[in-house]
Amino acid sequence: MRRTIAVVSAGLGSPSSSRLLADRLSAAAEREVRELGDEVEVRVIEVRDHAHDLVDNLISGYPAADLKGALETVIGADGLIAVTPTFTASYSGLFKTFFDVLDLLDDDALADKPVLIGATGGTARHSLVLENTIRPLFTYLRGVVMPTSVFAAPEDWGGAAVPDLLAHRIDRAAAQLAGEIHRRDAPVARDPFEPTPFADLLGAG
Amino acid sequence: MPRRFHDVMHFGIFTVGDVAPDPATGRAPSEHERITRMIETALKAEEVGLDVFAMGEHHNPPFVTSSPTTVLGYIVARTSRILLSTSTTLITTNDPVKIAEDYATLQHLAEGRVDLMMGRGNTGPVYPWFGKDIRDGISLAVENYALLRRLWREDVVDWQGRFRTPLQSFTSTPRPLDGVPPFVWHGSIRSPEIAEQAAYYGDGFFHNNIFWPKEHTRRMIDLYRTRFEFYGHGPADQAIVGLGGQVYMRRRSQDAIAEFRPFFDNSPVYGHGPSLEETMEQTPLAVGSPQEIIDRTLQFREHFGDYQRQLFNVDGMGLPHQAVLEQIDFLGEEVVPVLRKEFGALRPAHIPDPPTHESLKAAQAR
Repeated sequence: MRRTIAVVSAGLGSPSSSRLLADRLSAAAEREVRELGDEVEVRVIEVRDHAHDLVDNLISGYPAADLKGALETVIGADGLIAVTPTFTASYSGLFKTFFDVLDLLDDDALADKPVLIGATGGTARHSLVLENTIRPLFTYLRGVVMPTSVFAAPEDWGGAAVPDLLAHRIDRAAAQLAGEIHRRDAPVARDPFEPTPFADLLGAG
Repeated sequence: MPRRFHDVMHFGIFTVGDVAPDPATGRAPSEHERITRMIETALKAEEVGLDVFAMGEHHNPPFVTSSPTTVLGYIVARTSRILLSTSTTLITTNDPVKIAEDYATLQHLAEGRVDLMMGRGNTGPVYPWFGKDIRDGISLAVENYALLRRLWREDVVDWQGRFRTPLQSFTSTPRPLDGVPPFVWHGSIRSPEIAEQAAYYGDGFFHNNIFWPKEHTRRMIDLYRTRFEFYGHGPADQAIVGLGGQVYMRRRSQDAIAEFRPFFDNSPVYGHGPSLEETMEQTPLAVGSPQEIIDRTLQFREHFGDYQRQLFNVDGMGLPHQAVLEQIDFLGEEVVPVLRKEFGALRPAHIPDPPTHESLKAAQAR
């Protein structure tokens, strides 16, 4: 089966460590999905590219065309890899806004979708941000969040006490994501304009 | 003077009734000024030959439109021809019994020059203020309207539902004028369930497309038309469609843009988001010369098919009263006469006229 993985990376710099982590995660996930016999395409969304459109969407209520394309990429994907930098003990505001706006467009967008979460931060002391704030966000959105989440601190990019610790976590998380993608059918696009028969609406009263 | 019987389309204005400061002066009108000016815009609309004046309903500041039938009743007495409507009547938080009574009374006073547009309201706290829950919005709209229809169509009603105290042997008075209930539009921007409701009853569907890209509006209207046909009210292109629009005109396009921009930029709805230019590209907001407004409005037919009602928003956001009256002059003198002619020439013969009390009465007699 042909699979797509959407990668949402909310780093602001170029290069950003969030994108670096997102690329490592997506390369590993791609490899694992292939090993299970599926074809796979990775589509990367840099949230920064849609920064103004995201705020505009909050104000106007509708997404600009480019942003709508990005949101639809996530909605149509078999799996999601979401990576944010840690800002003030949480996800970045822009990262949150992306998922706020996604939920506005389609409140079923992430329902039953396998989600691998990752974060970067200026110190390893931030690493529980994944468990304390990022996991609950995706649980709320009814995503299926992988048990292994991946935090990359500065020392993970070099000089860590156990140099391949990050690589091990990446592989473990990617294998979990690939397994969850593999055992699901392709997501069915929901048509928000599918009519609800009026008898059902009357009956619901 | 009775309304013309064979209008191709109805054109008019609709107002939210907001009290807002003029960004140039920082001064906001008093509520009293806003109410009296709103009435002057209705009188002006009749004077220049527009077909419809509609007003919203809100129960919180900065709006002055909590009591639409009071205002519309006053306008009825000061006019003779223009059709009066709502944009919208809150079918969720109002008691449907009171809506039935108020609008039947207004219909008698107006000799039938009245219809209504149902809406759910989008101000969260209004629901609890009226003892309701916003999460029941769709269910309230469905149940309350089902009761309202019966109150207007059946002389004696026994009724029980989820949201209101039951009725036994209840007669809503006065009975509708000539036994013909006011025509009802259902307005919704993003709820397919409301398009379905309008289609089920064969009522009108109004999409206030002001703030939305045309792709979205088209999906809503297509859904309504398809389901109108599904429920056996006639072919999809004979469904009764209304559209909104917001316009600001000056003789020269660049003057219109320059004058309108500070109001746009400071608007609680439009401001601080997509720019005026982006919004004009994405949504039906039309700021320019009368000819540009004509061209933009004619495009609505290409996007959404032949339709029956076009309402323009020309006030609010602190726009000075004089500028508002000038917009109504532009509409009455230059824009609407051309639109009537052009839409009329393009319209196939089988497309229904906009409904009026006279046409509904004639249909009922057949």
